[in-house]
Formats: sequence, structure tokens, C-alpha cells
Amino acid sequence: MTINLDLLIPEILVGSLAFIILGLDLFLKSKYKEYIAYIAATGLILVLIFSIIPIWNTKANIYGDILVLDGYAIFFKAFFLTFGAVLILSSKNYVGNNFSYIAEYYSIVIFTILAMMFMVSSAEILTAYISLELLSFSLYVLVAFNRFNNRANEASIKYILLGAFSSAILLYGVSQIYGHLGTTNLVQIQQALSMNSEMSLGLIIGFSMFIVGFLFKIGIVPFHMWVPDVYEGSATPVTAYLAVLVKVAIVALFIRVLVVGLMPIAQDWQLILIGFSIVTMVVGNVVALIQSNIKRLLAYSSIGHAGYILLGVAAIGTLDQKGLILVDFSRLIVNGIILHLVSYSLASIAIFLCIDIIFGNSEEEQIDSMKGLHDRSPLMSLLITASLISLGGLPIFAGFTSKFYLFNSIGTQISLWYVGIAIITSLISLYYYLYVIRKIYIDTNKDKTVINLPILTKGILVFLLFALIFIGIYPNILMEFIYHASESLL
Amino acid sequence: MGVNLAYFPPVICGISFILTVFFTRKAPLISSLISVFAILSSFILFIFILIDFLSPNLNSIDFSIDWIDVLDTRISWGILLDSLSVTMLGLITLVALLVQVYSISYMKGDSRFGWYFSVHSLFAAAMIAVVLVDNLLLMYFAWELVGLGSYLLIGFWYEKRAASEAAKKAFITTRIGDVALLIGIILIFKSTGTFNISSIFHIANNGGINENILTISTFLIFLGAMGKSAQFPFHVWLPDAMEGPTPVSALIHAATMVAAGVYLVARMMPLFSLAPYVLDFVVFIGLFTFIFGGTMAIVMHDIKRVLAYSTISHLGLMMLSLGFMGIASAIFHLIVHGVSKALLFLGAGSLMHEMEGETDIRNMGGLVNKMPITAITFIIGSVSLAGIIPLSGFFSKDEILLTVFEKGGILILFLTLIGAFLSSLYMFRLTFITFFGSLKSDNSKIGESPILMTLPLILLALLAIFMSALLLEISTFKGFIFFISGYKAHLNLLLIVFSSILSFVALILAWFIYIKDSKYLTDWFKLNMNCFYKLLLNKYYIDELYQYVINQIVLRFAQFIALFDRLVVNDIGVDKSSLSVKSLGLKLKFIQTGKMHGYAISMVIGFLILIFTWAIL
Repeated sequence: MTINLDLLIPEILVGSLAFIILGLDLFLKSKYKEYIAYIAATGLILVLIFSIIPIWNTKANIYGDILVLDGYAIFFKAFFLTFGAVLILSSKNYVGNNFSYIAEYYSIVIFTILAMMFMVSSAEILTAYISLELLSFSLYVLVAFNRFNNRANEASIKYILLGAFSSAILLYGVSQIYGHLGTTNLVQIQQALSMNSEMSLGLIIGFSMFIVGFLFKIGIVPFHMWVPDVYEGSATPVTAYLAVLVKVAIVALFIRVLVVGLMPIAQDWQLILIGFSIVTMVVGNVVALIQSNIKRLLAYSSIGHAGYILLGVAAIGTLDQKGLILVDFSRLIVNGIILHLVSYSLASIAIFLCIDIIFGNSEEEQIDSMKGLHDRSPLMSLLITASLISLGGLPIFAGFTSKFYLFNSIGTQISLWYVGIAIITSLISLYYYLYVIRKIYIDTNKDKTVINLPILTKGILVFLLFALIFIGIYPNILMEFIYHASESLL
Repeated sequence: MGVNLAYFPPVICGISFILTVFFTRKAPLISSLISVFAILSSFILFIFILIDFLSPNLNSIDFSIDWIDVLDTRISWGILLDSLSVTMLGLITLVALLVQVYSISYMKGDSRFGWYFSVHSLFAAAMIAVVLVDNLLLMYFAWELVGLGSYLLIGFWYEKRAASEAAKKAFITTRIGDVALLIGIILIFKSTGTFNISSIFHIANNGGINENILTISTFLIFLGAMGKSAQFPFHVWLPDAMEGPTPVSALIHAATMVAAGVYLVARMMPLFSLAPYVLDFVVFIGLFTFIFGGTMAIVMHDIKRVLAYSTISHLGLMMLSLGFMGIASAIFHLIVHGVSKALLFLGAGSLMHEMEGETDIRNMGGLVNKMPITAITFIIGSVSLAGIIPLSGFFSKDEILLTVFEKGGILILFLTLIGAFLSSLYMFRLTFITFFGSLKSDNSKIGESPILMTLPLILLALLAIFMSALLLEISTFKGFIFFISGYKAHLNLLLIVFSSILSFVALILAWFIYIKDSKYLTDWFKLNMNCFYKLLLNKYYIDELYQYVINQIVLRFAQFIALFDRLVVNDIGVDKSSLSVKSLGLKLKFIQTGKMHGYAISMVIGFLILIFTWAIL
């Protein structure tokens, strides 16, 4: 067994970056510590440019099939590095003003990115589990980072207990699978499953537990209860992190596990996932209607979006008469899912960035306090409007294009009725999105103090706006990359 | 090189709309400058594109980038550039530019000055998009945006009841046509599978569309054009649309709103040519509207109403020409009329500006000495529209007469000449009453308008005089008719003489009636034409008829529907469902207790459901 460490250079570099930042903390004077954010972001971008791009077209197994490197994994690694850098930059002001341990914060963030990079590369379920745990442990710390804040503590305790519960379920599922099939490797699981057609009850329990573990992490109803509490309680940059990168990473891993490992039993999990996704779309969007806290509202809206994506994931598992996957259509769905993840991430980052500027560290992020925001900050108002409209799925923003791709391909693969439900719940979601926009533009506020944005924030906001519109009107450049990812998966 | 710039005009105006709405709400003057700058750069871009287009080897370019391309659905952001769209681009940007410059002075001091210019940008962006896009779906989007822009501008002074009523009337009337247009587009998409205009023509020419479907969809498209271009029986919105600020009327009548319908028919001509019945219908509607609008314009007392009915009439003339597939003559008349009509409306605005909003021509008179620039430019505009040689209005009218003569025969030519006679008559009437005779109002403060207002007038007047030069061959440019349609223009001397004589007769008649105030003629008219006069003054009672129909039939039916709506749809359907969605939300919220064990229990329940379903399956 030869080990080609070249292919692991990105992970090694990201790990080192985390340690470098921890070490820098010892030497830097406190007035220079604000530059750590720039170092972290630049580091991630450099890793992207110098170690990800050279291996762009690689397809290989590492460490005897423990890790796999293909277009799919590389696309998501690039995604994590890029969006990680954007998120680090956009959290710079909040972290500088509110946290006392700046370097620790960034190094933990980078550790989560490392975990995600391993997750999308993992070719067997134990590795997947371990990298998932690395991610979860880092997140428990991040949620509790503001340790003098009661809400953050409550959120963290809830997150850690339920997270441990779900991890236990997941791990038990892994052990059941190993016990019955004698392997943890995804490809071998697939072969074993396609050989014996009968499924024993133990195996069903194992797979169920395994899937439940994932559904918990993605925040699918009825495993979603932690989502609003944790989103509300965490510091806003951490919420953004949870809502964007973490969700994307777990979905990416989930798709690989299902498509590679569990494909022979696709008919079973497809129906179950469709059921869960419908409940999720309905509950997420309906409960969001009555929220008065903007972060809780976005938490429920993200649950709703997880529902759309889960419907797409379910649609991948359509088999033809011979029990084989319909490669062309499934690729289209994977494209739709990835595009939707990107558009959802862009819009979410923009909104959470605005929220953390508007509310800072105050306790209550009430929608009512966003009244008359237009008089105080036109740029942020425009950004929030654009992002909410994009999340709602109206042209000309990215959300329209991505929903169009996603729903269109789901509709051709499985029934149009499910798409109908997705569209109706999208329609419901427009109500609460537009409600926020109404508050911003139509209602007036006595407080007309202008919010001054730092130049960095302005830059990020303008960049996000352009990205939202650009993907909305010309998604093809991005689609080229996404094709590259989905082709190697299926 | 220049043609690749064609994406920019609508985008620049759209960006100007966003900037002025979102960022410069507190600085209206900056808003106006941004807006003017946007439309000015669009006009400059038009010049670059035009220069490219005048090179002889360039006919038509269709370039696009994909927007959505998944499975069979393919939608692109495309631009179709040919001589037709380039011409329209020029007309729109030029008139919009002059109108906006004029408005800076005209709208000074208005409380929503900035918003006015924002909407102008939106309107311009939408209209430019209508003429540039290469597929029907985007054209429909832009088409609706044009409707929205007109609604916002006509109802700009929405505190005035008449203005908001007029805005509603314009919106609803054109909506009827828009719905028809949408159905037509969908029918075409169903049978061809594409929105792209050139592909549709290609498929249609190869017989790819069922003949009945083709006729029906073409007819529906024409209904859309009738709505926007104010053809009978959808003409009622246009005269009321003068409730908006006068520069807006200039824009709507000359270059944007009403031009969209004419452009649509011209653009879709390859489809129309395959549907002969629809073409006959176009001829009929056009001819009827031409005469019908002209008769009403003769008796109106409100200067803007005279101009409005004149617009309706001239749009009818263009449709008539299109009905005989005379695209080039129709478009040439569109731009000549657009320039003249913009000039007349801006002139009327200049009058109103100085006369404190007076619009009744009976209270004007003798203004030629007080406001020389306005008066002279206005007279140039009306003489051009009246079709007196050698102004450009004469040549454009003559081109259409020639088309009618060649394709339509003597009877239709005769009817067209009657319409032309009417149009000369009311233009001279308007000019004589307004500017000559004795000064009616004793307001001696009346003077010339400021330079920002007179400058556009002068420019437009020069264009109204020299526009006919476009028909001439200059080096590689083989004349406008050739530019659009590819065949050479020619003249019919008999027709020229005859139509000139008619115009002069109208001039003399108007002079006798309105300047000399000839007792004999007026008495004769009073005696014999009184009932006619009343009929015309009341616009054939069409508004009343519509109102009656609306009151008796539509509202009755609406009351029934409203009852049904209130009891069934609203109470049970909407309120019940929205309440139930909301109460569902509240109920679901209670599950979210915030207590950990509740969360864990729900997870376990979900897990058990999963296992049982799977095991049973």
C-alpha cells in the first residue's frame, strides 16, 4: 500500500493554518490581533489556489479506500475554503468587538473546515463519522463561545446533549451495518446490498439509525427542534456558519453515502425521505410565519430549505426497471441541489451579516426593530431585500434559477405533486420574507441614526449582491464546475 | 464592435432605476442627473450600434447567453438586432432623453421629483428591452414593465382623483390586451417549443404551426398590440392618460407605450403574413381608428385631448400600413409622428407651464407674440403632422398612402385620404385657435419658458423638418425604406399632388372657420351638423357605453362573484386556510417547548416512525 500524501496537502495545510493561528496568538500584541481574520482568510484562499486547483481533475483513493478524492469532493473543498474565507471576513467586526479570544475562534473555525474537507472525501462510514464528530465538537465550542451569555449557554447545552444523542444513534447504526455486512466501506456496502435482496430487520434498524443521525444534523422535522434554539442563541456569525457551511457539508456527505453506499435499496429510502421532506417543508415554512425574532425566522426558513434539498436527495434514488440508477437525470438533480446550496449560502451569508451589524450583541433580534431600516442603511436594506427575494425564489436572483433547476429536475424524476407541495410552501415562505421587506421599507422608525458600515463589510455586501444577481442571470459558469462535481459522483 | 454594446442600454437604465430608488432617495437632483445620464449614454450607445449597422454587410444579429437550460426548457437572455430594433432604439432613447431633460425644468419643485426620474428610468429600460430582446417570454416581461411604468407615470399625481382613475383605466384597458398577448405567446410556445423569435419564424415558414393555431395566436398577439397602441375599441385610456405630467404624455404618445404595439406587429410580421384573415382585420381596425380618432380630434377643446385623439388616429394609420405589410412606411411614420408628437406635447407643456395649467384652447389665442419659440416650434410640429410639403410628416404619410394605393385599391385609398384630410383639419384648427387671433387671457406675465424646456423643442422641430432626409440615399445608406425592408422607395406624383391639394384645402377651410370666423360657414355647420357635433364632443358616447356595460353587466356579475368570493373564497378559502396555516403554526410552535426531553422524545418518535415504515415496506 503506497500512500500518496500529495493528495492530502490541502488538508495538511488547513490543519497547519489552524495551528499557526493558535501560535500567532502567543506572539502578537493585542492591537494587531484584529489582523488574524485577514491571515486566516488569506490562508484559506491560498490553500484553494495553490493546492486545490492543481489537483482539480484528480480521481483517486487514498489510504486504501478510506478517503476518496474526486471531482465531487474537490468541488466541495473549494466551496468550503471560499465560503469559509467569506464568512471569516464577514465575522471579523463582530468577533473583534464581542469575543475575548480571537485567535481561538478562528482556529476552531478552521478546524471545522478541515473536518468538512475530510467529510466530503470520506469513502467509508467510520471516517465519515469521525470527521462528523470533529465538526460537531468544534461547533459545540463555537456555539458556547460567548460564555457569559445565558442564551449562548442554553443553546450550547441543548446542542451538545441532542448532538450526543444523535451521534450515539448514528454510531449504533454504523455498528449494526458493520455487524451485518462486515464492512464499512461504501463501495463494498453497495456490493453486499446488491447481492442479497432480502434485508434483515437488524440491517433495517441499522440503516434507519444511520439516516436519522444525518437527518438530525441537517435539521429535518421531527429532528429539527434544536435548530431554532441554537440558531437564536449562538452569536450571529456562528449562526451563519451553522446555517451555511455546516449544512452544506452534511448534505454533501449524505448524498455521497446514499448514492454510493445505499443505492441498491434506493426504493426504500426514497419514499421515506420524500415523507420527511414534505413534513419538513410544511413545518419549516408554516412555523416561520409566526416568528417575531429574525434569527428564529431564518432558522425555520433554513429548515424549509433543508426540506427542498432533501426532496432533491430523495429524487436521486429513482431506479429504472433493471434496478439501475438513471444517471443522466440523477446528475441533473445533483446539479440542482448543489446550485441551490450555493444560492442559499450566498443569500444566508448576506442576511446574517446584516443582522449582526444591525443588532450587534443585543439580546433580542426582533423583526420590529428593523422598521425603517432604509433610512438608516440603504445598502443593507437592498441586500436583505435581495437575499430574501432570492430565498423566496423570484427572478432575477440566484434563488430563482436554483429553485427552477432543482424543482424542474425533481419534477421529471419523481412526481410533479411533490414539486407542487414544494412550490406552495415556497409561496408561503414569500409571505414572511416580504413581511420583513415591508418592515424595512414601508414602516417608519423614530430612530433615524445612520448605520456606518466599515469598508470591508461594504465590500462583502456588494460582492454578495453581485454574486446573487450574476448567478441569477448567468448561472452557466458556475454550472460548469457543478457538472464537473456531479459527473464524478455518479 | 458596436453591436456587442446592445446589452447595455436596458441594463444601464435598470441600474439607474435601482440606484435612484435605493440610494439617492434623499437627493432628488442627483436622481434626475443619474437618470438623464443613463438615458444619454444609452443614446450614445445607439449611435455606436447604428454606425456598425450602416455598414452594408450587416443585416441582423441574434446573440444570447443562456439563462436557464435544463432538459427541454431553454430560456436565454438574447438580443435581436436588426434595422427595425435599431431604429426603435434610436427613437426611444432620443425622445426619452429630450423628455427627461425637459422634465428637469418642468417638474422643478415637485415633492416626488426623484421618484419621477426613477420611474422614467424604469420605463425607458422596459421599453428598450421590448424592442431589443430576441424571445417572446422576455418581451412579455418587459411589455408588462412598460405597463407598470405607464401606470406609475400617468398616476404620478395620485392625490388627484382624475389622475389615479386615469392610471387605473390605462392599466386595466391595456391588461385586457396583455392577457390576450400572453395566451398568444403560450399558444405559439406550445406548438413550436421555443420562445426565440427567429426560430418561431423559421418553424412557421416551414409550416410547423397548425394554420388555425397560427391565426388564433396571431390574432391574440394583435389584441395585445391594440391595447398598448390604443386602437379602437381599446382607445379609451389614451385621452385620459393626459392626467399625468405633460412630458409623460409626450413620452407615452411618441416613443414608448403606444409605439410598443406598432413595434410588436412589425416584429411579428412574418407570422401575420401567414395569417391573411388577421391582416384584413388589422387593416380594418387601423382604417377605422384612423378616421374615428380624427373626427373626435376636430371638436375637442382641451389641447392635450386634441393631441391624444390625433395620436390614436395616426396609430390607426400605422396599423393600416402594417395591415398591408408596409413595415417600412409604418415605422417611418412612427418615428416621424413620434418626433412631431413629442414636440407638440412638450410645446403644450410649455404653454401650460406659463399659463398656470390652462389646457382649454378657447382661453388661449394670440400666443405667437408672447412665446415665439414655443409657438414656432409648435406650428412646425402641427404643420408636419398635417402633412404639408416639404415637412417630414408629408413624406411619411405619402409612403403609407403609396402602400395603401398599391396593395389596397382605390376604395381604401379614398377612405384613407378622408382621414388624412381630417388630420390636416384638426391640426390647423388647433394651431389657429391657440396661437393666432386675439389674446384671450389678460395675463401679461406670460413669457417664454426656460432654456431646458425650449432646447428640446428646437431640436425636435429641426428633426420634424429634416427627418425626411432619411429617405434619401447617402453613400452606402440607401434610404430608410430600403434600410428597413430592403426594397427601394419610389414616388407617385399623382398621389403627391392630390394629397397636397387635400391638405391645402383643409388649411384654407380651417383658416376661414377659425381665423376669419366666417359667418356663413359656421352658421351652416351649426345648422346641419349640430347633432354630429354633440356626438363627437361626447366621443361617440363610448366611455358612457363602457361605463354602462361595466355598471349593468360587469358590476352585476361582479357583485355575484363578490358574494361568492366573500362567502366561499374569502371566508372558507383564504381566511380559513390562512388562519388554519397560522393556527397550525401556533400549534406547531407549542411543540417547541424549549425543554430538552420534549426534543428527545420527538426525535425518538420520528425514529420509530422511520423504522416501522421501512420494516413494513
